[in-house]
Amino acid sequence: MFKSLFAFGLALLSGCTTVVIDEYRRSDGELAEGDSVVILGRRHSSDYETEPDLIDCVGRQLHNPDRGVNVIPEKQFVDAMYPWFEPRTAPMHLRSLDRMMEIPNLRERMEAYGVKYIVWIDGSTETTASAGSIGCSIGTGGAGCFGFGTWDKESDYEASVWDFRDQELSGKLSADAKGTSYMPAIVVPIPLIARVQNNACKGMAAQLQEFLLPSGGRS
Amino acid sequence: MEHSRHGFSIRLKITLIFLTLLVASCSHTVRVDGSYPQPVGQQHPLTVGIYLSDDFRNFVYHEDSEDRDEWNINTGRAQKNLFETVLGSMFTETISLSQYPQNLPKNVELVIVPEVRELQFTMPRETRVNIFEVWIKYDMHAYDQKGESVANWVITAYGKTPTAFLKSQEDALAQAINIALRDAGATLYTGFERVPELQALLADKRRALSLKESEPADVRN
Repeated sequence: MFKSLFAFGLALLSGCTTVVIDEYRRSDGELAEGDSVVILGRRHSSDYETEPDLIDCVGRQLHNPDRGVNVIPEKQFVDAMYPWFEPRTAPMHLRSLDRMMEIPNLRERMEAYGVKYIVWIDGSTETTASAGSIGCSIGTGGAGCFGFGTWDKESDYEASVWDFRDQELSGKLSADAKGTSYMPAIVVPIPLIARVQNNACKGMAAQLQEFLLPSGGRS
Repeated sequence: MEHSRHGFSIRLKITLIFLTLLVASCSHTVRVDGSYPQPVGQQHPLTVGIYLSDDFRNFVYHEDSEDRDEWNINTGRAQKNLFETVLGSMFTETISLSQYPQNLPKNVELVIVPEVRELQFTMPRETRVNIFEVWIKYDMHAYDQKGESVANWVITAYGKTPTAFLKSQEDALAQAINIALRDAGATLYTGFERVPELQALLADKRRALSLKESEPADVRN
């Protein structure tokens, strides 16, 4: 009873988010036993950077060895393949990946990791608008805040799924999420946070799972 | 008299503490301690000496301009780790030199000496983009066994990190520097063979090795 009330309270205290997922599929996912998926963020743009915590979040949501999805953590993979997946050197196209695989040690290491799919996620979450103000004061009688603040956040991510073994683009999917957070303050500020990035992550992970395991996977 | 001396001492101490706090609040110290992965790839068939000078190993970038707070950025240890790791994996044999050009081992074919030419950084409030950015430029020098210059080239490295909730400026800048150093390692590794003089040196060495391999065993003996 208390748990349900707590969950209901939390739902009331969070802002609203809408998530739109689009998918373009060229071939169905086929993960065999021992195959791995690596999820990497694009970091080549000068004015934004795909957040490492978003990549971690998608990886954590997707990683499910019981269903046959083994996700290699981004940092572990990038370190193991250094310096070939750094922002400056990372392949932007499948052709570049193909050329990169002419380096025997690198190919051997990729094969040792059992990499079947490389998922590149490009995008970011930004605050697009904000309004309102909150003032806080402190005096002999106590302290308190008064006011109202609101801000909008937008997530825009695109994931490209590369089939490493067949050297082809398996598909693309995108996640657009929008949400507004509110912070009314009557003595104490009460944040009603819209978890925009987290919802984009969950939506993208769910769609990727469907993409990579179309038949529901091993169970 | 004792009391007034004692009082003066306390007042002086408080003033000094206040001044120290005031100065410290406008001064930032960043120490970058990174460890870097070994590169994956084929090794160049050379015996190389690596000389990292004391200035390089203990490099501290100091900036105290009018429009910025005072910054002391220590990248010496991190860049020492980076160059030792990357150069150590690039060649069939590497020798770390504690001094140069004295006492150079006879088998060393090339000596590599890096120097920091420039370090620059920008803060989010300066660029109005929520990113800390760092640029580092290295002058690379390569010498032969006799101490004559073989090649000089420049490595430019870039690193950035977005501003994160509750992350201090120092932490964010240290992270951007670490990314820039990884980038320097990537450029050093992938760009070495693109330097024309080094490309020619490697081609000669490979030719010599393949000739040696193709010689009949009795001729070699």
